[in-house]
Amino acid sequence: MLSFIVRRIIATIPVMGFVALFVFSLLYIAPGDPAAVIAGDQASPADVERIRAGLGLDRPYLVRFAEWLFRVLQGDLGTSIFTSLPVTQLIAQRIEPTVSLMVVTLFFAIIIAVPMGVIAAWKANTWIDRVAMAFAVFGFSVPVFVVGYLLAYIFALKLDWFPVQGYTPLSAGFGPWLENLVLPAVTLGMVYIALIARITRASMLEVLQQDYIRTARSKGLAQPSILFIHALKNAAIPVVTVIGIGIALLIGGAVVTESVFAIPGLGRLTVDAILRRDYPVIQGVVLMFSFVYVLINLVVDIIYTLLDPRIRY
Amino acid sequence: MDRRTFVKSAGGVMLAAASGGLSAPALSQGANARTLRFVPQANLANFDPIWGTQYVVRNAAALVWDTLYGVDETLTPKRQMVESETVSPDGLVWTFKLRSGMKFHDGSPVLAKDAVQSLVRWSARDPMGLMIRALQNELVAVDDLTFRWSLKKPYPKMLLALGKNNAPCTFIMPERIAKTDPFQQITEYVGSGPMRFVRSEWVPGAKAVFEKFADYKPREEKASWLAGGKRMMVDRIEWVIMPDPATASAALQNGEVDWWENPLSDLVPVLKANRNINVDIADPLGNIGAFRMNHLHAPFDNVKIRRAVLAAMNQEDYMRAIVGDDNNLWKPLPGFFTPGTPLYTEAGGEILKMKSLDAAKKLLQEGGYSNQPVTCVVAQDLPVLKAMGEVTADLLKKMGMNVDFVATDWGTVGARRAQKTPPGQGGWNMFHTWHAGADCINPAPYTAVRGSGDKAWFGWPSSPGVEKEVENWFDAASIDDEKAAIARLNKAALDDVVFAPTGFFLTYQAWRKNVSGVTKGPLPFFWGVSKA
Repeated sequence: MLSFIVRRIIATIPVMGFVALFVFSLLYIAPGDPAAVIAGDQASPADVERIRAGLGLDRPYLVRFAEWLFRVLQGDLGTSIFTSLPVTQLIAQRIEPTVSLMVVTLFFAIIIAVPMGVIAAWKANTWIDRVAMAFAVFGFSVPVFVVGYLLAYIFALKLDWFPVQGYTPLSAGFGPWLENLVLPAVTLGMVYIALIARITRASMLEVLQQDYIRTARSKGLAQPSILFIHALKNAAIPVVTVIGIGIALLIGGAVVTESVFAIPGLGRLTVDAILRRDYPVIQGVVLMFSFVYVLINLVVDIIYTLLDPRIRY
Repeated sequence: MDRRTFVKSAGGVMLAAASGGLSAPALSQGANARTLRFVPQANLANFDPIWGTQYVVRNAAALVWDTLYGVDETLTPKRQMVESETVSPDGLVWTFKLRSGMKFHDGSPVLAKDAVQSLVRWSARDPMGLMIRALQNELVAVDDLTFRWSLKKPYPKMLLALGKNNAPCTFIMPERIAKTDPFQQITEYVGSGPMRFVRSEWVPGAKAVFEKFADYKPREEKASWLAGGKRMMVDRIEWVIMPDPATASAALQNGEVDWWENPLSDLVPVLKANRNINVDIADPLGNIGAFRMNHLHAPFDNVKIRRAVLAAMNQEDYMRAIVGDDNNLWKPLPGFFTPGTPLYTEAGGEILKMKSLDAAKKLLQEGGYSNQPVTCVVAQDLPVLKAMGEVTADLLKKMGMNVDFVATDWGTVGARRAQKTPPGQGGWNMFHTWHAGADCINPAPYTAVRGSGDKAWFGWPSSPGVEKEVENWFDAASIDDEKAAIARLNKAALDDVVFAPTGFFLTYQAWRKNVSGVTKGPLPFFWGVSKA
């Protein structure tokens, strides 16, 4: 197992290299000019040119790529063109809100979606199943920003139960931290709940047809024990896969959710950077997300072995 | 049931156990009243008001850095950091004396050498500064509080240059910081203004914080725009960046923020209906909508075809697309200068009142238009530009022109408009923009109206008539002479169609009723604003 983990971590290096090259090339050929954005609307073309030269954007592609790669290998993701702050500092400032949002979303999603999927499978083709699956379809169909605005309107503006926007660091207390995250997490979790619930149901339906489940029933085991101990464990591999893949969905969804709820997270950092063509920030954030995603896949692979002893690497 | 009661109930034992009880609000009621939470028009992505000339940077900078002079609400430059000035009878030597006792936020005194170095940096980036620099003999500190600027030729607009509110303003920094190359960002944000910038709490894209500077000495006069005594009534100002207007609207209604600089016009009725919120015009100088045609390439290299577009356009269509049905928010603009300001003129504006497709089609025919595509690049991420772009595309089609509508984002427009290549090779024929009315009160900051060909703003119009009248305005000795020059300039600019003004429009600002002292102006003025 240890050698597997080491091999997988080593395997991330070429993946990250490819991502770095891809992101850098994509930004190089993409239209847009940070110098024009910096110069402002009243700047002359000569001003824009001078700013571009000052930023080093007039140098050849290969020179810029080589310099950037060299710095990245030393752990330096560069400096934001606009803020003059190190990209690592910008990421550090934003990572807590995004991680918090994802953790709370994951928590809500799993505690709601997995039981929902299990119960829907158990009560397949009954009204309970149909209600659960209707909710899943709803979660898939309604865009994140619509859910966000609706929840903010009802629970923040009308009922005044939660704040409309913002983020309170965990260091300011668990209550205020959670208070700011409930609406965004529910918003972001809708799609995720729908996805996990459907996969759990499908996987459980298959497992519930197995002989050992019939044996368990004939032995007189209690239904919750059959469902959550015997069936769910064996149905969990696709569910875990989906949860892993779904984290990519969360990263994408966080961009919208963070904008709707004005959460100062990595999603908003990414969007702002893209709109302004802040190349070092875009490159740094994408590289970081890629690394996180590779690691999540590694974790998922490890969890497989815990759930199914037959799986060996 | 209110929010906190709900959360406390819902949290239950688990939550209380985990957190050791819910934390109290971070701010007590008194502290809350001393903190003003403001939603600015845009993200404060950088904080060098000379390097980055975006309005949002200037607005924040006005809190942190003071200026030598400042314009008041009559657009007259008044002394601010300067105590007195003298000018030699031939108009060539200006001598300025600073007020004594002023301090920077790091505790060091404000000296003449700081002002000199700040002016050196400013004059490398500002259009008026560049003109003065071209006339300069020397700019030197005479003693700790006095500096002298001697010129080769008189520059009658000196005080306006030093006190204008157009970016970049003459913000005074410590000498060591002002020595930074004007095309590189400063990394220390030390000013002598009424608030100091709390760098440790700055999260670009999310939050910027300013705290009251205890050693600031306001002038005795009543505050008026950038002039007079800048007395801070709050201890702390938090800029909360909200990219989503609906979120900002909800936050203001919910009392989570106190003042929103630029509510979207669609959301204004909701805010007006809320009894806890005041809504009023933000800036009486408003904005001038515009689209620019590329004078370098067909078909707009032909003045008759440019005039055809002016003859056909109806500014009301543009303004309604931007502000909706609120008639208080717009007016037609048969010229280039801001309505209600001393130099406003409609000379030569008849073509913008024609609104005639027939006349336009005739001009197109006379100009030999042969169905060349018109590449119209339109930013979709800025509602004002998107609205104007769609009106223009419709107009051109009605005129019988072949429109190549390029829907893109502002970042791309910003890069593409700088391309002088033909439209088929990465260039363009048209793009839309708008200018703050405060930048259009005279030709000094108004780069968009210039007709200096290759050196002009994007579109590169060449209009010797405009350039001659700009010079006449700079040299004018009386307001009557200024007005005459601007009338001739306006006519020349319309004859040559330097660009197409689409109308004059205003925007709103909104604030909670427990906030008082909010004024109308070209930027949000925080001095005198208090919170109950």
